[in-house]
Amino acid sequence: MSIMAYNGAAIVAMKGKECVAIASDRRFGIQAQTVGMDFQKIFEMGPHLYIGLPGLATDVQTVAQRLKFRLNLYELKENRQIRPKTLMSVVANLLYERRFGPYFVEPVIAGLDNKTAEPYIAALDLIGCPMATDDFVVSGTCTEQLYGMCESLWQPDMDADALFECISQSLMNAVDRDAVSGWGAVVTLIEKDKVTTRTLKARMD
Amino acid sequence: MSLQMEQHEYGTPMQRYWSPYAMNGGTGLAVSGADFAIVASDSRLSEGFSIHSRDAPKTYQLTDTTVLSCAGFHGDILALTKYLEARLQMYEHEHNKKMSTSAIAAMLSTILYYKRFFPYYVYNIIGGIDDEGKGCIYSFDPVGSYERETYRAGGSAGSILQPLLDNQIGFKNQQGVVKTPLTLQKAVQLVKDVFISAAERDIYTGDSLVIRIITKDGVKTETFPLRRD
Amino acid sequence: MEGIMEQPFWANGPKPGSFYDFHAGHSSKTTTVMPVKHTQYPMVTGSSVIGIQFDGGVMIAADKLGSYGSLARYRNCSRILKVNNTTIMGAGGDYADFQFLRDIVEQRVIDEECLDDGFNYTPRSLFSWLTRVLYNRRSRFNPLWNTVLVGGLQDGEPFLGYVDKIGTAYQSPTAASGFGAYIALPMLREAYERNDKMSEDEAKTLLESCLRVLYYRDCRAWNKYDIAIVTHDGSRLEESKTLSTDWSTADMVSGYE
Repeated sequence: MSIMAYNGAAIVAMKGKECVAIASDRRFGIQAQTVGMDFQKIFEMGPHLYIGLPGLATDVQTVAQRLKFRLNLYELKENRQIRPKTLMSVVANLLYERRFGPYFVEPVIAGLDNKTAEPYIAALDLIGCPMATDDFVVSGTCTEQLYGMCESLWQPDMDADALFECISQSLMNAVDRDAVSGWGAVVTLIEKDKVTTRTLKARMD
Repeated sequence: MSLQMEQHEYGTPMQRYWSPYAMNGGTGLAVSGADFAIVASDSRLSEGFSIHSRDAPKTYQLTDTTVLSCAGFHGDILALTKYLEARLQMYEHEHNKKMSTSAIAAMLSTILYYKRFFPYYVYNIIGGIDDEGKGCIYSFDPVGSYERETYRAGGSAGSILQPLLDNQIGFKNQQGVVKTPLTLQKAVQLVKDVFISAAERDIYTGDSLVIRIITKDGVKTETFPLRRD
Repeated sequence: MEGIMEQPFWANGPKPGSFYDFHAGHSSKTTTVMPVKHTQYPMVTGSSVIGIQFDGGVMIAADKLGSYGSLARYRNCSRILKVNNTTIMGAGGDYADFQFLRDIVEQRVIDEECLDDGFNYTPRSLFSWLTRVLYNRRSRFNPLWNTVLVGGLQDGEPFLGYVDKIGTAYQSPTAASGFGAYIALPMLREAYERNDKMSEDEAKTLLESCLRVLYYRDCRAWNKYDIAIVTHDGSRLEESKTLSTDWSTADMVSGYE
């Protein structure tokens, strides 16, 4: 069994019209055994900026903390908030430093540019190869299912409500066909003037 | 065995491993309604990064009211379908009637389990009309475990298609919706939509889609182009 | 064939009149039968075989090199076979296995002729038989290490089939095995999709250009080749030819010394 699937996770981010959304499941498991149903996998990195970390749970928390540390240094030095694209570079650098003994996480970044409010989403592999797209990015143990859902449900220029429905349906139906992810879901919807985080009522089996 | 491999000398041909199996890809999908069943598959036959054929559909018509879809190792698919056809003919000669869809499903299960320790590497889905005139679907694993269902995707893009079918046909994770029975028109459109999505992301699915629509009047075939890259 | 060897009446079953004996754990009771060892690697090998359908016929071509590992050992091995007036076949992979297959096919053609019932091997019947032979051998873990193309005219229509050592088989208007699947097949498909009613001469020129590229790029290819053609006028295995090649650009390649 792959170490990437030891704890199980599913994360997806999507672009809409003047908004982005990022969603994750809430399961913390050890192989087939579910241990927790309120595990945090999405972390706030700024007022309009979030990162999702699927993968080995211990590395999820380590990377989240080390990233927060680097982010604090950046904000102290620059005296400003980090831009999504810059955060992506910081993450890529952090991961590539461990090129030959990697953290087993494949991050997803979603945010709005703090000047232009331009939506930004990106995903990286575990050694920091980034991929920014115009539609959606997926990561975790049920990427095939997520791709199938997103590829069919996503359309350009969705408003915030449509985006929320789209990402929620994509995530929930995907995790229901994966044995090691699910057990609740959380969606963060990022708009220019507000950020809404909702926990979804999902199948708990 | 592996020790012998290490003692490699120059001047002798290199020892090469071979596997009795190959994965030739392909996706099958079946959906059933009140009085119809749809069995669909793509027509690409691949091996590794090569495309052997763009015109090799993986649906096999077994009787007037039963269609089988197979994905996996094409060599086993050929052997299995040939054997199935022989068994169906034997049944017809012995009983002077066509085999019912449920009986074919039960027979396929035993045929697959007979090779439990050297399995047919084939993912089967049977679609047809049952004894009561209703649409029916049976899905199998390679060693013969099977189940009757109302919809099922299998093969290389099975995991891409299945959650979407759960959502759109099974109305999973939808609150407060009227669960309207699936019409043939909606089913055919949905099958096309999901295969377009699968062809986007799965390199083993593409070229064209063959849709077999089974009603009490027989089987109608429709083809639909998919991306060829 | 090995199938002629004695077959047990009831494989794995008890002797008539006796009971099953599962001899739990008593491995000493089992008779000391040495595991059967099969030739599971090719010795002298042929490289790609390529084939294409054209207007009113089919042709198959292959070079004449028999490689021994990386050694270009035999330079005049014919890998193409005229089966009868409507059928041809060509093989890549182990040359001995090809010869074994060829001997059987030729004997069966003679047997068929002796029946004198007016029937002959058709491309489809030979192909169907070959797929079963290769699939059965792989199922006994003793494969015939070949990729075979079968071509011909089936009820007046062009037929081209491919079957490999594990029994993967299909029909297609263009086919190529081995390295040819990467180099020749894209060329064949491009030409065929542009014009699926090409003439015999066009098809021949196309196959020759494919063999030339293979000779340039495949280290197990050779410039001497065979080509077999089936048309409504019958089938023929043409006399071996040598490819014309142009190496004038070779001295411009640098950086690999």
